[in-house]
Amino acid sequence: MNVSWHNIGLLIWKELLNARRNRWYLFYVLIFTGLVLSLSWMGLAGVGTYKLSGFGRTTASLVNLTLMIIPLMGLTLGAMSLAQERENGTLLYVLAQPVSPTELLLGKFFGLSIALLSALLIGFGISGYLIALKGGTSGFTDYLWLLAFAFLLALVSLALGILLSSLFRKAEAAIGISVFAWLVLIFFSDLGMLATTLKWQLSIEQIFTLALFNPLQVFRIGALLSIRHNLEVLGPVGLYAIRHYGHQLAWMLMALLAGWVTVLLGSTQILFQRRGVI
Amino acid sequence: MQIAQYRWLWMFVFAWLNIVPSQARILMVDGAQLQAKLDAASPGDTVLVNSGVYSGHFVIRHSVHLLGKGWPVLDGQHQGTVLTVEAPDVEIQGLRILNSGINLADEDAGISINAPGAVIHHNRLERVLFGLYLRQAHGSRLRYNIIQGYRELDIPRRGDLIRCWYSDRLLIEHNRLTSGRDLIVWFTRNSRVAHNDIRNARYGIHIMYSTDCTVEENLLLNNSVGTYVMYSKRIQLRRNTIAYNRTASGFGIGLKDLDDCRIEENLVVDNRVGIFVDNSPRDVRSSMTYRHNVLAYNDVGLNLLSFVTRSQILDNSFIDNYQQVGITGSGLLQGNRWEGNYWSDYVGFDEDGDGRGDLPYRSEKLFEDLLLRNEHLRFFAYSPVIQAINFAARAFPVVKPQPKLEDPSPRIRPMIPQGLPFPEQTRAQQSRYPYLVLLLAGSVIIFLSARRTLKNKSRPADIHKTGKDWIMTTPPSSSRKQAFNIEVEDVNKSFGHHRVLSDVSFSVQEGEAVALWGSNGAGKTTMLRCILGLLPYEGRIQINGFDMLRQGKQARFHVGFVPQEIRFHDTLTVEETIHFYARLKRVPAATINQWLGRVGLLEARRKEVKALSGGMRQRLALAIALLADPPILLLDEPTANLDIRSRDEFLALLRELKEEGRTIVYSSHRLDEVIPFADRVLVLDQGKLIADVPPLEVHQYLHQRGMLRLTVDSSQTEQALHVLNEAGLKAQTNGRGIKIYLDSTQKVRPLELLIRSGVKVLDFDYLFQN
Repeated sequence: MNVSWHNIGLLIWKELLNARRNRWYLFYVLIFTGLVLSLSWMGLAGVGTYKLSGFGRTTASLVNLTLMIIPLMGLTLGAMSLAQERENGTLLYVLAQPVSPTELLLGKFFGLSIALLSALLIGFGISGYLIALKGGTSGFTDYLWLLAFAFLLALVSLALGILLSSLFRKAEAAIGISVFAWLVLIFFSDLGMLATTLKWQLSIEQIFTLALFNPLQVFRIGALLSIRHNLEVLGPVGLYAIRHYGHQLAWMLMALLAGWVTVLLGSTQILFQRRGVI
Repeated sequence: MQIAQYRWLWMFVFAWLNIVPSQARILMVDGAQLQAKLDAASPGDTVLVNSGVYSGHFVIRHSVHLLGKGWPVLDGQHQGTVLTVEAPDVEIQGLRILNSGINLADEDAGISINAPGAVIHHNRLERVLFGLYLRQAHGSRLRYNIIQGYRELDIPRRGDLIRCWYSDRLLIEHNRLTSGRDLIVWFTRNSRVAHNDIRNARYGIHIMYSTDCTVEENLLLNNSVGTYVMYSKRIQLRRNTIAYNRTASGFGIGLKDLDDCRIEENLVVDNRVGIFVDNSPRDVRSSMTYRHNVLAYNDVGLNLLSFVTRSQILDNSFIDNYQQVGITGSGLLQGNRWEGNYWSDYVGFDEDGDGRGDLPYRSEKLFEDLLLRNEHLRFFAYSPVIQAINFAARAFPVVKPQPKLEDPSPRIRPMIPQGLPFPEQTRAQQSRYPYLVLLLAGSVIIFLSARRTLKNKSRPADIHKTGKDWIMTTPPSSSRKQAFNIEVEDVNKSFGHHRVLSDVSFSVQEGEAVALWGSNGAGKTTMLRCILGLLPYEGRIQINGFDMLRQGKQARFHVGFVPQEIRFHDTLTVEETIHFYARLKRVPAATINQWLGRVGLLEARRKEVKALSGGMRQRLALAIALLADPPILLLDEPTANLDIRSRDEFLALLRELKEEGRTIVYSSHRLDEVIPFADRVLVLDQGKLIADVPPLEVHQYLHQRGMLRLTVDSSQTEQALHVLNEAGLKAQTNGRGIKIYLDSTQKVRPLELLIRSGVKVLDFDYLFQN
């Protein structure tokens, strides 16, 4: 692929500058950091009392919060990216310069990825600092794994958001459909899977395999694995996953998320080329 | 020998300690004489073993005190049992016992005790299959021993680090056990297991077929099961700390087929199941009591088989267990007494301030109910959908399950027993500084992105204004040496089913100024976008040999473009905007302010582009288009947003640019922009190129169809319609006026007809059809 890293770098800086001045982005950073902060503070109140920390409210809530907020951040920021520029005409103007659509796409993706990473680093940094300060016992390496999974989840949702954005002329439409996609990923797919499991008495292998099709489920498994080093908390399915895949499981989950990013970006590239700037 | 020299001192010490009876001897062991000295000793003698390594297997056949000095090593060399006690009332202290055999069938042990009254204390046993193995060793005391099994063996292949069979009145306390299987107390009465620290084992403490035993203040961490008590009576589990016991079993406390046991003040944290109860109590005359325990952060706090009844579950604290109470099997737990417990998920209140909730606590989560139907659903734990399900069950009582239990007076605050054993450092206390690094890294990214990274580095002092006019008279450089032409061949473009361009072909030679002319919707803008390679199309477009679909980016280095509607990134300033595009075009930063000065935007360079007027935006766009001194300019209705003066200046600039030899293609629907400036005019009509003519011949293509609207006095409308229709003009009325569709060249004729017929025309206008 004939791409210029000079152009991509420039577009990344432009995206970062845009993100920094984007009210949505700042809102997300504040909300994410605030929620993480309050959760850590409330959840850690017990550590001093019981002197033993566990996988209780704090960690579970962190996983849940990450699972809900990060896809929403990635999806909406991604959805705004192309559609908003298409809507207000800047997309046409930028592409009228010596810039290829691939460079524009990668510049947007990497720029927004870095912006999301900074939000995660701040949120997770504050949370980890508080946990360590209050005597938490999880290791920093485990925390880095969790952060890595969270970042990959952000990338997947961002790539999905950009894909949806490439399909719409209006930013409102893209954001609307991205929120719907978020609901599907967060609730409806799990509800469907839960109902299917009950109705058809799915086997352990079937449940685990089905879950791998949802990047949010992949993140959830990876996050629990990062924190606990095992998956008994997920019952027989978790035990099956650990026994079947062993130490390769974490890498496999990461590869799956990275695969999702690649597939989504590749599809966006095709759709974007086909549709053009309007 | 130094010890022999101080024999009198040893004698004094032992006499003072009242350990050695006055008639007892002290036998010193050095070198390879250990078994011989043990055999030679009489009951009550002390065998004092100096530091050193004693390999082999040793048997104590007399009631002696075997004491080590300087941690002598008894090395079993991975064969059989290292030390066997066959005599009663033997004391063993201060030995380091290593490398027993690993044969489970032979029950190879560190120390095997087959007689009552043994006192085994302050020894270190390492790499032993079984540690201390007691049979019929009533009244023995095992204290302060450190025992470590074979870490490299899988748990099923390990032995029990302490195993006691048929031995009553035992005292097992302050031992530290790691990497073994269990601490087993079977077929035992009146024994006490206290203050032991057991980690990384299978069942930390395993009691079976025993009665009247106490398990107290032990620390049981990271085992498969913390403690499992089975088939026993009157066992007390008190004040133990039991945490991180996981794996498939993963019970903190497992209780099976018990009667009249008391489970009190235990801290049970982060196990898969905090307390698991199976068929206890089993006798209808007995009961079980669970009181003042803290069950926190477990996957399931307390799990009972559905037929468990007659249990008193009082004053416990259930804190943040994913499932506070679980049931195995179908049924409810109403046959037990639940009272005064703290429930962290209790949503009631305490209005009278008595420390008890005014509403009962009911365990009625829908997901937990679903789990009873299919255990595989636990896979969805920690998923937002579970919270949604439970919330839905609360909101819609129709799907609310029947409560598993009801606590009529739940506590408002948890009760935490004090003074329980805690690990010194369960896991290494973590440093908080790495987290600060994360925080800083995130902040630095935001800080860097906040800087005006696209800012100009040249100074305003470099700029010399050319006057008030923003139109430049000379471009900053004229480095164009290469000839550039545009070739368009059989280009078709559709949006959906709507054909916008049909078989358009033309070419533009170097230095030509070509106007795309036509009414709105004729396809001019689409044509320009296709030339730029911004839209996919059928056919072929080349700029100096670059195919615009495949090599559009390379070609655009040589093209300056001004769109009809100028839109920039509103979050950037004028300066950032022009620098951004300059860097995309690889234009040196030094010339940028010069361009800004020449288009009259120098003063506005700090403004955000959203604050610019339409005309200022047009100037900025022109400056950007000319930044790289491109040989080709594509302009889409470039004067559409300009006032009259700016428009005249702009057309003058175009003339200059053309004279410099630039190739210019521009779209317009205004004849006054086309005729004086263009070399050729490409007439587009409904997406088709209908003519390629000199400017002066463009008039002949003006006979476009349109609608003539006439307003006549209402009393003359019928007369006007008659006149017009008589002349074959197909006039219609909508009640307010008369409409006639006709060529633009014919638009005066209806007026003449009506005036001649005496109809007074009050108003008229003519609208071109798109």
